[in-house]
Amino acid sequence: MNLPLPVATGDFVIETDALTLRFRNKLALDRLTLNVARGGIHAVVGANGAGKSSLFRVLLGFQAATGGTARVLGCDSERLTPALRSRIGFVNEEHALPPWMRVDELTALQRRQYGAWSEERYDAVLRNFHVLPAQRIAELSRGERAGVNLALALAQGPELLILDEPTLGLDVVAKRVFLTALMDSSYADGTTILYCSHQMDEIERVADQLILLERGQLLHAGAPDDFCARMCLWIADGELRTGDLANLPGVLQIEHLDGFTHVVVVDQGEQFEVRLRALGAHTIEHMSIGLDRAVNAMLARNHAGSAVPPPVLQPA
Amino acid sequence: MNQPRRSPLLLQIATGDPRPINRQIVDGVKRLIASGDLAVGAGLPSVRGLAAQLAVNPNTVAKAYTELTTEGWLDARAGLGLFVATPRQRLSDAERERRLNDALVRFVGDIIALDYPADVLLDRVAAELALCAPKQPG
Repeated sequence: MNLPLPVATGDFVIETDALTLRFRNKLALDRLTLNVARGGIHAVVGANGAGKSSLFRVLLGFQAATGGTARVLGCDSERLTPALRSRIGFVNEEHALPPWMRVDELTALQRRQYGAWSEERYDAVLRNFHVLPAQRIAELSRGERAGVNLALALAQGPELLILDEPTLGLDVVAKRVFLTALMDSSYADGTTILYCSHQMDEIERVADQLILLERGQLLHAGAPDDFCARMCLWIADGELRTGDLANLPGVLQIEHLDGFTHVVVVDQGEQFEVRLRALGAHTIEHMSIGLDRAVNAMLARNHAGSAVPPPVLQPA
Repeated sequence: MNQPRRSPLLLQIATGDPRPINRQIVDGVKRLIASGDLAVGAGLPSVRGLAAQLAVNPNTVAKAYTELTTEGWLDARAGLGLFVATPRQRLSDAERERRLNDALVRFVGDIIALDYPADVLLDRVAAELALCAPKQPG
């Protein structure tokens, strides 16, 4: 059989085309087409079950797609060679490491497995977590385990590092040290980082790129600021009828508060005021919104109980 | 020995703010320069230093520094870092006018409820401005 040589196209470390993953009665990834440029920190955001972990599993070759393709570092993710695998780091969600091992034993084991291992990088990361070499993994706190996990991953000098909810359950101190190490690696070593989190304040501080998933589909890929810039909060006097508002283009979220109607809207521009006026509003104000509110409005729009039907969105 | 001193930056950023973080850094540095807390010639923290201080992505700090340099607020000296530039006309007339207007609206909004007579307020503003005036030599 004639296998094509892996060729990196463009400067993308990840390219998926109509990537689909179907379980018995659930569509985990639904024709997902996504390009992740080399360098920077790319944050994947979505509700539980939106497809974040499924995407990571397919990219890492842990799970075969049921449709479409995924290329990682230029190679089909189902055919990653050991040489390519060693250029991809993965930090799992639970920071699961063998509990019976000592930190130095685990380090020695990993050091042997990776040609590009850097003792300097390993020490630089681990130093911040105050872990002693002789400690057993079972004795470490969750934050310390996260530190060992990250140090092991970064010591391999990966081109691409994938992390599944790495900051979940970390205390404030461990979380800051962890994120600083991550950002440092991206800035100083040019590591491309793909990770997911539910914490918008964290993503605001950390992410260069925002990848928004919903039900296995891509809602938005681009800079977080650009995502916020698509959004606007309009506040009109009077209780405008939800049914009327829900029919307007771009409406994501409607709230009636203290006799005013608050509407979060996407991709509409100033002329939205005319539409509100046509519904009977007199005093109308508008303002920009931050990332947390913007992502909330986008993902909440078709939760149960919301009167707003999902708008048709062009992935940016 | 010739390494110039960097000044610490008394700056905070807030998440959840409608202004993106790089915007907050740009505005904050301008405010510190305008108030004189950052003197002309003072050295700015390194990109990684400020990023660690604020717990934000170094790329964001780099972006903010680039903007401040392009607008003439900071000077880059090769190999040494960034320094507060000598003041010159940093903003267009329209932009100055817009900012003055914004600041006045905010300021008047704050003080109007305090119920001072207008002449007292004007005297107080004049006194504050006198404090900021550059000292005459000799």
